[in-house]
Amino acid sequence: MIVLARRLAQLVAVVLAVTFLAFTAMNTLGDPLFNVVGFVAAVDCDAVEAGEIEDISGQGGTTLGDCAVVAEAREEFHLNEPLPIRYGRWVGDLIRGDFGTSFKNRMPVSTVLADRLPKSLLLMGMAEVFAVALSVPWAIAAAYRANRAMDRASTIGAFGMLALPNFALGVILFYFFVVKWQIFPSRFEDDNLALRLKSLVLPALTLGMPLAATYFRLLRTDLITTLQEDFVVMAKAKGLSNRWIMFRHALRPSLFSMVTVFGLNTAALIGGALIVEQVFSIPGLGRALVEASIRDDYPVVLGATVVIATGFVIINFAVDLAYSYLDPRVRRES
Amino acid sequence: MDTPPQVDPAEQFGVVVARRLGFGFWIAAAWIIIIVAAAALAPWLPIADPNETGVGGRMDGPGWSNWFGTDNNGRDMFARTIWGARVSLIVGFFSVLLGICVGGTLGMVAGYFRGIVDRIISFSVFVLLAYPGLVLALLIVGLAGQTLPIVAMTLGIVAIAPIARLSRATTLAYSEREFVAAARVLGATDRRIMVRELLPNVLIPMGALTLLGMAITIVAEGGLAFLGLSVEEGFSWGKMIVLGSSPRTLREGPWVAMFPIGAMFVTVLALNFAGDRLREYFDVRELGIGAA
Amino acid sequence: MATPLLSVTDLQVGFATERGLLRAVDGVSFDLAEGQTLGIVGESGSGKSVTAKTLMNLLPSYARVEGSVMFDGRDVRAMAAERERHFWGVEMTMVFQDPMTSLNPVKKVGEQIAESLRVHLKRSRREARDDAGDLLQQVGIPESKKRLTQYPHELSGGLRQRVVIAMALACSPRLLIADEPTTALDVTVQKHILDLLDELREERGMAMILITHDLGVVKGRADQIMVMYAGRTMEQADTATLFSEMRHPYTEALLETIPRVDMASHSRLVPIPGSPPDAVDLGQGCPFAERCRYCSASCLIDQPSLEQHRQGHACACHAPVGTDAGAAAHAANHETGVTPAGLDMGTFATAVGEKT
Repeated sequence: MIVLARRLAQLVAVVLAVTFLAFTAMNTLGDPLFNVVGFVAAVDCDAVEAGEIEDISGQGGTTLGDCAVVAEAREEFHLNEPLPIRYGRWVGDLIRGDFGTSFKNRMPVSTVLADRLPKSLLLMGMAEVFAVALSVPWAIAAAYRANRAMDRASTIGAFGMLALPNFALGVILFYFFVVKWQIFPSRFEDDNLALRLKSLVLPALTLGMPLAATYFRLLRTDLITTLQEDFVVMAKAKGLSNRWIMFRHALRPSLFSMVTVFGLNTAALIGGALIVEQVFSIPGLGRALVEASIRDDYPVVLGATVVIATGFVIINFAVDLAYSYLDPRVRRES
Repeated sequence: MDTPPQVDPAEQFGVVVARRLGFGFWIAAAWIIIIVAAAALAPWLPIADPNETGVGGRMDGPGWSNWFGTDNNGRDMFARTIWGARVSLIVGFFSVLLGICVGGTLGMVAGYFRGIVDRIISFSVFVLLAYPGLVLALLIVGLAGQTLPIVAMTLGIVAIAPIARLSRATTLAYSEREFVAAARVLGATDRRIMVRELLPNVLIPMGALTLLGMAITIVAEGGLAFLGLSVEEGFSWGKMIVLGSSPRTLREGPWVAMFPIGAMFVTVLALNFAGDRLREYFDVRELGIGAA
Repeated sequence: MATPLLSVTDLQVGFATERGLLRAVDGVSFDLAEGQTLGIVGESGSGKSVTAKTLMNLLPSYARVEGSVMFDGRDVRAMAAERERHFWGVEMTMVFQDPMTSLNPVKKVGEQIAESLRVHLKRSRREARDDAGDLLQQVGIPESKKRLTQYPHELSGGLRQRVVIAMALACSPRLLIADEPTTALDVTVQKHILDLLDELREERGMAMILITHDLGVVKGRADQIMVMYAGRTMEQADTATLFSEMRHPYTEALLETIPRVDMASHSRLVPIPGSPPDAVDLGQGCPFAERCRYCSASCLIDQPSLEQHRQGHACACHAPVGTDAGAAAHAANHETGVTPAGLDMGTFATAVGEKT
């Protein structure tokens, strides 16, 4: 129990540090003022005051002049206060669910996130399901026929799959299944769950196949190693069938490496989701992040980044817990 | 117990042990050298100008005059593929270099001194790792700008965390060994121990990792370019791929996307393979364990 | 003799290797009656474990087997080819050397014992669990209920080996093969385990094959003994005869390696000089010739065959101990100071009681 509390405390510390990093980046790289108020910041307020240029009012739908907006923003966002305090306020806002407002269309960022996040999660979930469903039977079959033709071909295939970047794989799949053979829709269809899932098949495959290749390699190697252990010989001496031995004795100890990588791979999964959403035009969180990045829409960038990074930390934490459950030896120690 | 039979264990157990670098390694290395040379010498090679339009017809397929065909602006794909290599390779190399220098040093310091220094560095690395690579790169490039040095540096920063972790683990493993204690007894300073005793041993797994790291960063840069967030001036393979992958272009001329895809695939495959082989080779000798 | 439970005839096991055929077992034959114990004794590489593995159908796919193995009238090799499911683990079981690695580290001990019961005897989960508890008690493990839910790493070496024995006995086998069952254990624990095996054997009327490199282990516990070297049988007899009238020089040498309580203090241990031969490249004569102090010229050229000295005692040697031929060869070697194989007679140490 104490251990659990300690790990939770670690979790909180990491999340705080993660958000602090993002916040600091936003307020030190480039022009902080710009990052907060957008293009309005371009106005030269000194010149306006001196009457040299006209203050174009009405930008962004307010009746105030630009300089007034800027001044107001300085006040509102406490830009004159030191960084740690602003960070504190910002975290406070975050906890209350206020992620700021998008420059682009003045919508609250939290709305954008809430709309986009589920689609990305669905995509990543499907990708992992494909990856596991593909890799586990494949690895078992290959380990069974270790070093024979099927196994060798599989290893080469997996290796090659990992060399193909996911955007390349996405483009290739898009070309064949959407452009040429027109099996899958070319854009995301949202009408009902079935259509949504159908739209996500190709993107999930694109994301999932490289993952499957990694899982396959790990599981296959571990299975082969485990199958050489003495307790497997003992099991054979007990007259247990090969199938029983594979599924009841060899599989579980061999899953450890795969489960470890499962957590680590989430990073690749998220990064990959960004790209895949772009290739297949899925309106997910990754795509929102990319578009906001190009448009310099920093509140969205920051909000999405924080959500992603925090989610990632939590997932890793959960994987750690799962790991200690799988291996009773670790469980004793923890 | 009976003596085990004299069967080659590698054959029996299906684990590939590279006691030599092997034929495949040299093929991979050859490709890497070719592509690097081609990219470096691009301005002087007898190929078309990559930006010049109308060199061939519009969207010509691969043929004698244009080996890789032309794109929708009539530009020669072969030349573009070679010039695209430049950005990809430069970013790949320098970012890995930055990652190894900074990450390697941080890891070594953390692993050697341990205690509070280790806790601080490890925590920072852990926080950096909390950002999925592409997301972190996106954040920095988005905020700081899209020039070549910034892109290279960004990917380097992304590389720091995993490299630091590896370097720390290796340092920890080695600093337990006797030759470090021996050096300390002889009165060597910490710095001397780190540089003379630990560094050479830590550099070996890292060196083998350079090639693998480059493969990863090339793909990462490709990803960034695909998203439109890589260098604005010039083009890399990633940018070429995104330019060639609109549904219409794919229908009319799939080669516009497929050739840069192929080039990237082969290069990454070669780097992965060569890096893997090197790693196995040094693993067996250095640590004395092998799958044998 | 009534039909023996186990009958092995001219068993030959070879492994295909890069360098040629490795003859691990070369013409081994023996009979084992119901309820009897056979001790197979030899050094590493003698082929004793491979023999056991052949009986248990545990050989890898690149092994080549010839000869016959009959268990209670059934052809074991045919059963292996037909992938018979309910023979091994039921009628014939095995216990290995290292109990730590014989047990699955991530499975509870009770589960592993119950496994055979559920698969072979179709017991239900609960029945199997209860039976497993009983078995633990029978092998002398107290607090059996608690032990059932423990993992292997939570038990001591001796307890683990008892668990392995319980696992082997689950389906009441008629033959138990124990391959070096005590080598990995502390000396104090060894005796307990061997005694346990004896007890169980008696109670259940089980036959046993006890494989070891230590003649001392089989002395009081086996009914007959087979001494193996380089895949061949060197000497085979019932226990009493072997120890009182041993004939093969290798057997004699083995006996001398056992330290005895009545030796003078600081006397040297007596090893057998040299090392076991390369099983791929055995050459022509007797495989033990190079290390034998009774070696004569014919020993190097002519492989001795296993001959019946008298009822129940066979030996494969040209110059056996206690015969005229043997004495003559020994004397000749002593004179020249060197055996025909080039072994210096001085290497045979002079410990107390030694007859040089």
